[in-house]
Amino acid sequence: MTETRLDKPHVTIAPDGSLDHAEIECGCFLGEDEMPAPLPFNEAMAKIKNWVRANSLNIIAYGTGCGAIEMRPLGTSRFDMERIGITMAPTSRQSNVLVVSGYLSVKTLKRVIRAYEQMPMPKWTVGLGSCTIDGGMYWDSYNTVKQVDRYLPLDIYIAGCMPRPEALIAGFKELMEKIKRGEANGWNEYLQNLDTYKANQRKVITDWGMPAYNW
Amino acid sequence: MEKIVNELESRFGLLSHREQRADLGEVCIRAEKTVNVLEWLKNHTGYVHLTHFSVVDWLEENEFQLTYLVTDPDAHHTLMVSARIDREKAEAESIHALWPEAVTYEQEFNEMYGIAFPGSPRQGVEFLLEGWNAMPPMRRDFDTVEYCNETYEFRPGRVHVDPKEVRMKFQAEQKRLAEEQKQREEATANSNEPEPQP
Repeated sequence: MTETRLDKPHVTIAPDGSLDHAEIECGCFLGEDEMPAPLPFNEAMAKIKNWVRANSLNIIAYGTGCGAIEMRPLGTSRFDMERIGITMAPTSRQSNVLVVSGYLSVKTLKRVIRAYEQMPMPKWTVGLGSCTIDGGMYWDSYNTVKQVDRYLPLDIYIAGCMPRPEALIAGFKELMEKIKRGEANGWNEYLQNLDTYKANQRKVITDWGMPAYNW
Repeated sequence: MEKIVNELESRFGLLSHREQRADLGEVCIRAEKTVNVLEWLKNHTGYVHLTHFSVVDWLEENEFQLTYLVTDPDAHHTLMVSARIDREKAEAESIHALWPEAVTYEQEFNEMYGIAFPGSPRQGVEFLLEGWNAMPPMRRDFDTVEYCNETYEFRPGRVHVDPKEVRMKFQAEQKRLAEEQKQREEATANSNEPEPQP
């Protein structure tokens, strides 16, 4: 992340093909060789930014499957995720963490893609439960996607069916450490490999019915 | 129960009937009589509440069974009214005029089993499946595993353990051990036999 966090406005091609003159904060559409050399000041700033970001996670209040039931005790008084700096946000524009909580049906995948693409960058995703890893107990279900990371980049997986709130806290702590180290770059990989992700998404979503990219 | 069965028998003709519990009975009727029977039950008896509405896929007999559960709340009695329709030309009369809540059931059966209910609103409107191109998935001849293998990618390294195979392997192992034990016992019994005296 440290290399890509150089603040410089770019005129670049938007994922839907049109020329985008908006000032994008980071050089997320640049290839590795196009990156300007990192300056010491920028590196230090990136570290500070990462530290701040790791301690202010806003989860979008959206549950995809049964695993969402474990988010409620996590948010309320017994486990209380606000004491470690995680809180819930009502809309995708106000949040930066998406928790894919449990199995993901094709119909839900569409809504999750919309929510994820509308979230401001940088953003992170957490796969909750075994279903997000390889389908779990829904391995032979006709309407459930098996590998969620073919359609969305996932930064952390929390295994279990379902994981307890303690496991979720451990997972979020790990995500925070990853953000501080600057390794949680799923959002950046998503934009760099957008064609692959979009092709995979269109393979299962036969009636697309939404913009190519939901800004 | 007997009274209502006799009434239905004389009015519409029943294929069969049975009493499952004190508060649950079943009558089987011809499919074309369904709406008449339910209308009569609703308007002239106490069975005014549609408790449940379901479909059973009898693949071997090439039939769908539609089961309507109607309840008499005063008598605390539920009547299962079941009718069978052809599986190839799956079409049944809609009961949405009697109970509007049946519309959702009929929409879902249309989507999941491919049964048509002509005249029912929201027929063909997507309910759970969006952009579904294959056979209706709740039909028993729909192979979910094959569909999954075609549509989705599995993560390499996934191991599938079938409990039945594990049990059979365990039983075979137990059998083998028991036979070995038996042979060993026989061998020791033979060796313990007194040697014939010269």
